[in-house]
Amino acid sequence: MIQRPSRLQRPNAQIALGGLTGIAALASVLIIVLMLVFLAIYAYPAIRFNGLGFFSGTIWNIGNQYGSGSVTRNGFSAEPGAIFGAIVFIFGSVATSTLAMLIAIPFSIMVAMALVYRVHPRIRPIANALVELMAGVPSVVYGLWGMVVLVPLIARLPGAGSGNGLLAATIILALMVTPIMVATIRDVVLAQSATIFEASMALGGTSWQAVTRAVLPSVRGGVVASVLLAFGRALGETMAVLMVCGSAINSLPQNIYQPVNTIAAVIVSQLESALTDSSGMAQRSLAELAVVLFLITLAVNIIARVALHGADRSEGQ
Amino acid sequence: MRKLSITALALGAALLCTPLAQAANARLLETGSSLLYPLMNLWVADYQKGHGVQITTQSTGSGTGISQAISGVAQIGASDAYMSDGQMKGTPMLNIPLAISAQQINYNLPGLNGIHLHLSGPVIAGIYSGQIKFWDDAKIKALNKNVASKLPHHEIVAVHRSDGSGDTFIFSQYLSFSTPSWKNGPGYGTTISWPSVSNAVGANGNPGMVQTCQSTKYCIAYIGVSFLNETNKAGLGYAALLNRSGNFVLPTAGTISAAAKALGSKTPRDERISLVFAPGAQSYPIINYEYAIVNPKQADPSTRAALKEFLSWTIDAKGGQQERFLSSVHFLPLPAAIVKLSKAQINKIE
Amino acid sequence: MILRSAFNRLWWTVSILCLLAAIAILFIVFAFVAIRGFPALHPEIFYTVTSGIAGGLANAIAGTFLLVSVGLLMVTVVGLGTAIWIVEFAPPWGKSTVRFAIDILSGVPSIVVGYFLYVALVEALGWGFSLMAGALALAIFMLPYVVRSADIALSKVPPAMREGAFALGARPAMVVFTIAFPWAAPGILTGLLVATGIGLGETAPLIYTAGWSNYMPTLAPTYSPVGYLTYVVWTYISQPFAKSHELAYAAALLLMVFIFTTNLLARSFLEYSSSSRGRR
Repeated sequence: MIQRPSRLQRPNAQIALGGLTGIAALASVLIIVLMLVFLAIYAYPAIRFNGLGFFSGTIWNIGNQYGSGSVTRNGFSAEPGAIFGAIVFIFGSVATSTLAMLIAIPFSIMVAMALVYRVHPRIRPIANALVELMAGVPSVVYGLWGMVVLVPLIARLPGAGSGNGLLAATIILALMVTPIMVATIRDVVLAQSATIFEASMALGGTSWQAVTRAVLPSVRGGVVASVLLAFGRALGETMAVLMVCGSAINSLPQNIYQPVNTIAAVIVSQLESALTDSSGMAQRSLAELAVVLFLITLAVNIIARVALHGADRSEGQ
Repeated sequence: MRKLSITALALGAALLCTPLAQAANARLLETGSSLLYPLMNLWVADYQKGHGVQITTQSTGSGTGISQAISGVAQIGASDAYMSDGQMKGTPMLNIPLAISAQQINYNLPGLNGIHLHLSGPVIAGIYSGQIKFWDDAKIKALNKNVASKLPHHEIVAVHRSDGSGDTFIFSQYLSFSTPSWKNGPGYGTTISWPSVSNAVGANGNPGMVQTCQSTKYCIAYIGVSFLNETNKAGLGYAALLNRSGNFVLPTAGTISAAAKALGSKTPRDERISLVFAPGAQSYPIINYEYAIVNPKQADPSTRAALKEFLSWTIDAKGGQQERFLSSVHFLPLPAAIVKLSKAQINKIE
Repeated sequence: MILRSAFNRLWWTVSILCLLAAIAILFIVFAFVAIRGFPALHPEIFYTVTSGIAGGLANAIAGTFLLVSVGLLMVTVVGLGTAIWIVEFAPPWGKSTVRFAIDILSGVPSIVVGYFLYVALVEALGWGFSLMAGALALAIFMLPYVVRSADIALSKVPPAMREGAFALGARPAMVVFTIAFPWAAPGILTGLLVATGIGLGETAPLIYTAGWSNYMPTLAPTYSPVGYLTYVVWTYISQPFAKSHELAYAAALLLMVFIFTTNLLARSFLEYSSSSRGRR
């Protein structure tokens, strides 16, 4: 087939393919830059208006739409009384994700170890498939289950109030990130040569000690990366959290049961309100929240990738 | 290569189909108030039988209704709140009343849901600002002497709307007009900055309010009267509210129309007026016009015609104002004088 | 010594219990949705549209598949192009930059993508809630999965085949379409299927881009909102009507079935391709 002259062999075809695919690749990179730059420019008035109060205030008030006059700070104005403090949402995102990781990390390591060392290789594909199915369950379905089953269960606990809140969001997030972590940890352990496990066993000690003292430390980078990737995912999770978090506003939870709110959830639930702000500052402040969430997840992901690449280099040999 | 040509073909097909879609029947998008939503659905289902128009109804929230009507995403923005002066300055819109609605104050108090508790603006404001924490608070007991001993020592869970909402607007107006500390604090609006109460829950839409209150014992919530059947089914109680004249009244056709009459004659040409906390011995304190927020400039002629025809039908005594539509959602028809004003506004659409 | 082996057994028991618990949770969630959703799956759900508090799901099913198809179309063009460039044309720094960017893109929260597209397309460009805005949101979200799998599949083409072709005088375009593509097809298809699964289950980026519609979707690219299944789950469950709840569960069940099917298909493709490769 190659002897036959083909259009694919023409010099133009090489240039065209190289050029077109180059444009596609460029588009992939540009999307990220474009999103960040666009959101940052759009949020600029809010960044100036809110100043550092954005990171210290707990009050989110789009101002009195039915009042008169306006409030101006740093040359940008909003409705009278408007003040945008994001601490409640930033706290909510970090708290729910961190607590979820505290549950999910040991749980996922346990599951991954069982998959690698205790499940017969013949059955492993089935177990793997099930874990992947768990990752495929849509966010709204977890939210649905959380709303209908989990929240009423929590509400039965003494002092738990409505059941919507920090605990419900944490549990749902932990369930959602577990399959992601299990898959990554399983893969890095499987990629690790079996000799480490066997060598450790030969030195004496039990199989569990071999895992905790030799195998897991040897794939430290990969585990850290999987934890960070899952953390990034938890920070950005929207629908499931929105459905069980209780949509707190202006108040931080006093105990583990009380309502919280996260950056991602508040962008969905407050956009409608923001749109009624005729000064537009509320919508721009939501964009500032989006930028903050973007930067946090960006940082977490970059660190994770660096850890993973480092792990590849040192552990891949 | 084959893959690329298939892709090109598909793209071409997608582009070709575009003009076809535009040639179809006029389409109207109605979005906003979840309080008006049940009525809109009854209206649209009936109206479409005789008219070649597709109307999508969506229950989002009055905030969305107003903003999407302004941005042109929706043709009809349903709202329980009229637009503010600030919003009108940006884009002048028509605020067209379609019906009269009211709001209940609901609660889920095991054993007491069959009784209409007496509540006042200042007491409800106290609950929502966290000063009144328990159901057996002396201030609640004082209004309910006959059941005072039955009020439980349980924390009140205040439920509020998390979306921009006309229900929040009229609820916070009731509190503002009756309670100076609320007026100077959170004030009123479709979105207000709720006082910091750590166990307070935000819910999405009137349906979300019913759902949350049903599953949360010892809650209090404000829910549109069009959901009365649902709140009854959910077993929630609703309160008799203290009106301007100092009487406790329930939301009934009689008390709602008494309030509408008291302020109806004051309705200005652009029909932006609050009917909350109306004077009169029998006036129910939280009632409002249900508005269609419409842009008076409709460029597309078929959309314009369909929009005017539908809106005119909704306020017609032989159309949308019929008893069979309104009574099932506990709304009241517009008085004749208001129909006239609304009609004049619809005629301004061009 | 006895204590140590007892500890050993205890830890392994705990880890197996954790695995069983994880699988149990999956079954509990699936059973919950199936038990409540199955009775609601009347045949008419598939050919009537949603109206008011209930009705059918025809518009949402059609909308879901339309959004995912158009998104897939976009992502196939851009994603495969990106992968080809990485493998065949890119200088080393280009490879690592694009791969890194794709990794980062996969970590961007879906709501950030949704909000960006809402402000940029729906409002600023005036597209309104539309097929294009929704499909683009899904495409951005699916892109990393497609690029990554195509990248891996194309990179695994044995160097000997490639070098052989070059030695016979083939040029890059020829090699890509006659050698690399056929070889990598199962891997690429797997990636597309995985991306389909991701797209089917998304909600957050669609709420403010595709909007929602009670009617069957049209192919109009802009200014015509599109319904989708995840929206039904999210909104109808918080309506206080039994009928609405039934519809939400039915939608959730359909979603799970669709997604599980694509995931299993993707998996079997992968197994098939690796087993047939083994025989070669």
